[in-house]
Amino acid sequence: MDNLQELLHGFTIAVTVPHLVLMVIGVLLGILVGVLPGLGAPNGVSLLLPLTFGMQPVSAIILLSSMYWGALFGGSVTSILFNIPGEPSSVATTFDGYPMARDGRPTTALATAFGSAAFGALVGVILITFLASWVAQVALAFGPPEYFAVYFLAFASFVGMGGAAPIKTVVALAIGFAIAAIGIDTVSGSVRLTMGVDELVKGVSFVVAVMGLFGIGELLVAVEEEVHARAVSSKIDWGEVFRAVARLPRHGVALLRSAAIGCWMGITPGGPTAASFMSYGIARRFSRRGRHFGTGEVEGIISPETADHAAGTSALLPMLSLGIPGSATAAVMMGGLMIWGLNPGPMLFVDQKDFVWGLIASMYVGNIVAVALVLLTVPVFAALMRIPFVIIAPLIVIICVVGAYSVSNSYLDVVMMLGFGIVGYLFKKLFYPLAPLVLAIVIGDKAEDAFRQSMLMSKGSLGIFFANRLVTCLVVAGIALLLLPLVLQLTRIWRKPTSPAHETTSQEKVII
Amino acid sequence: MISRRALELSTAILTGSFGAAVVVSSLDNGIGWSSAGVDAGTFPFLTGVIIVLGSLYNLVRGALPAATLASVPVAITPTELRRLASLFVPAAIFVAAIPLLGMYLASAIYIFAVLAIPRHQSMPRALAMAAATALALYVVFERMFQVTLPHGALAAAFGF
Amino acid sequence: MRSTSALLLSAAAVVLAGTMPASAAWQPQKPIEFVATAGPGGGTDNLARAVQNIITKYKLTEQPIVVVNKGGGSGAEGYVYGKVSAGDPYKVIFGTSNAWQQPLVSKVAFNYTDLTPIAAMAQDEFLLWVKQDAPYKTAGDYLKAAASSEFKMGGAQSKDTDEVLTRMIEKTGHVKLTYIPFKSGAEAAVQLAGGHIDSHVNNPSESLGQWRGGTQRPLCAFSPKRLPQGPKITATEGWSDVPTCVEQGLDIKQYEQPRTVWLPGKVTPDQAAFYVDLMKKVQATPEWKDYIEKTSQVDTFLTGGDFDKFIKEDLEHLKQVASEQGWLIK
Repeated sequence: MDNLQELLHGFTIAVTVPHLVLMVIGVLLGILVGVLPGLGAPNGVSLLLPLTFGMQPVSAIILLSSMYWGALFGGSVTSILFNIPGEPSSVATTFDGYPMARDGRPTTALATAFGSAAFGALVGVILITFLASWVAQVALAFGPPEYFAVYFLAFASFVGMGGAAPIKTVVALAIGFAIAAIGIDTVSGSVRLTMGVDELVKGVSFVVAVMGLFGIGELLVAVEEEVHARAVSSKIDWGEVFRAVARLPRHGVALLRSAAIGCWMGITPGGPTAASFMSYGIARRFSRRGRHFGTGEVEGIISPETADHAAGTSALLPMLSLGIPGSATAAVMMGGLMIWGLNPGPMLFVDQKDFVWGLIASMYVGNIVAVALVLLTVPVFAALMRIPFVIIAPLIVIICVVGAYSVSNSYLDVVMMLGFGIVGYLFKKLFYPLAPLVLAIVIGDKAEDAFRQSMLMSKGSLGIFFANRLVTCLVVAGIALLLLPLVLQLTRIWRKPTSPAHETTSQEKVII
Repeated sequence: MISRRALELSTAILTGSFGAAVVVSSLDNGIGWSSAGVDAGTFPFLTGVIIVLGSLYNLVRGALPAATLASVPVAITPTELRRLASLFVPAAIFVAAIPLLGMYLASAIYIFAVLAIPRHQSMPRALAMAAATALALYVVFERMFQVTLPHGALAAAFGF
Repeated sequence: MRSTSALLLSAAAVVLAGTMPASAAWQPQKPIEFVATAGPGGGTDNLARAVQNIITKYKLTEQPIVVVNKGGGSGAEGYVYGKVSAGDPYKVIFGTSNAWQQPLVSKVAFNYTDLTPIAAMAQDEFLLWVKQDAPYKTAGDYLKAAASSEFKMGGAQSKDTDEVLTRMIEKTGHVKLTYIPFKSGAEAAVQLAGGHIDSHVNNPSESLGQWRGGTQRPLCAFSPKRLPQGPKITATEGWSDVPTCVEQGLDIKQYEQPRTVWLPGKVTPDQAAFYVDLMKKVQATPEWKDYIEKTSQVDTFLTGGDFDKFIKEDLEHLKQVASEQGWLIK
């Protein structure tokens, strides 16, 4: 097997003392941003990005991806212990993790979460290992129409499966699109939507939007609800850690199903947040104990965690091979790749073998390091959570302000970031989903460019989206996903002529 | 006290006016779809229209006495509003002060103010934290990352 | 009016400085910011960082230099930043011919007259690239094939250098090309490798990897003479083996993109002279030669009146192409 050999070569790059040290640093920093409410992997990675400019690309990506693993794990810690999701993708973990922890079983909840997360990540890495070269070959088949079809599929899956009020999802998505269009348009070269602000010609940075929407927005929600760092015992009972992990294989079906959902959402640019929600929703529907979900069910923790990590890991594959980010963090890392002088895309696998396989090998090692560290550092971070909110909050504000400013040394960005904070708060409060908004900001302009490039190629005919098998499949899948909620709605009405009104309320709860 | 309905309505108006602005400014770029491709303003125009229509729907739905909204009559209580303001107002003042005071001075004063004025921390401790924050910012950004944070008009007046 | 006189003033200063480079009276007193009007990793960014490295290495100035990327809006972000920093001699803007081309075709909030020209330091070449397994071996074959079916030409950005060149090829070669704009030349290169477009006109450094990787090859160079001899890129060929387009019957003698250096407007002649002198010193170093060779550019140094003349001529040419295409903004 060619890939195995490449992987072994990759291990010789990844398993060196400096790289192991970088992994530990990255994971620890990642856990930190994952644990801190208001900061997430995208913020952490983008904050760290400037530091990597002078590094070797392999070292830089190892540092950043380790931080990513750390953040994924760190997010679960606070979700479970304090019901504070450190980042959006671990929101679903709070549904059953927190009740279980409150029930006096925090160790079980944490160990279950970490065990299934590690399993999800492993499946994701194996997928990357064995499909990477294949995807790289297939990738060349992606011209503008195919790119557009992939973006379309991602958008369709958000609108179709997000679970939020559909019109609010559409509004959020459209606002994201409009924000992405601000600045110079690639296809025509003209300036768009600057609304009289000359500086907006540079466009709105995704980092600025995320810092405001998630950072400041989440902070405002937290201060309003006056989140107390409740003293749930966070002592690790080592015996229980192993027992909980040993019990995992009993939930094999849930593990595999969640990993599959996660991988699929990671490769199509759906991302970990959507994956974890989808996985939780499907588990609730199919599990025998589905009725008990929300009260501390083991599978209610396994499903979102496995999918989250499988998606988070496999999201790096389309980034590397196609140059399409599968998650917000991958989008930031992709920016990093270009800064290091690498062009994400099929040529990466040909030109930069050491980089690609060093990274893949580091995913195996990095995740092991992350699991080990996260178990060891839980007490430390539990103590951190005892720092009063009044001290943490202004520090997060400063981090967001400085972060927004340093994106392009622009004061306007800081003001916009604060504005996004208010929008983020309002949207969270009123159940407008933030994930589609962010997704649209990240890939909205790319989708538009791809569409208009396709139209140039086809002289304005939509037929180009059905010109070959690949693009047809992608487009049809997208349309199917788009129509799914409509079909479900119809079947529900058909089954139960008197559709219950409280359906929407329960739906509204399951929103990012 | 802000009711859920008021919040829904104002958010819908906010998103709607953004949509309207998008529609108007996209007309500058030209909208159209021909064999020469799709004009630059076409998609912004369409998204603007979608935002406006969606906002109108949300506006109407927010105004109607729907069952889901009735179950949460109050979205933000006065206490919650006070807590929100206690976080946001100082943060906004902090951001507004940056062009004048510069990042370092502004963040130090910000930290000191939010810790010492509501008496969350004793005066000396708040002072120490404020100094530590500014110093950490300086070391990490100016020294380690070589990112120049704004020094402010005040510092410029003194020749820095 | 005022900006024109500022331009003339500084141009005069530059000429003066050219005659007595050692007597630059003004010296910087605080850190200098190099503003690259391109994202990190782009050609303009590389130039700014190369210049920074050389200045730091030879201690050509006492003050530290920081490179800042302001590549948003195809570089407009950086130029606008230069415009609003009028009078600040601590911001040096690195750009391309964008500085005068962009205001002509899109509504950006600056013009090159808002800035103080320092120099054009290097010229980037353009080549015509096709897929490795394409049937045509020469530009003549390519034009013949393009005449019978409408070819898709990829390039970076819209109404920018790549598209201008594409329109020139159309006119000279009597063919019709569909221009597909991508974000960058690198993206166009990937699309060519996948066979989604028929050709592109990347700079040598943008497609070097693909040529070496055997996915695409250059047909001809838009240059009056062959590119300088350098190390071999593929097993058998180097840049100097690529024929000129004129040799192959595509009569476009010269098309180059200058890398330009600017100061904000309203700086004193002394300050401008300091930077002209500084760039001259940079150009005399072996590291500069190395940078030029690695990026396959042509070493030039235009300043003062020469630079001004160059801009005027290029602008005339662009105006002609732009009005033919209906690009001029109203």
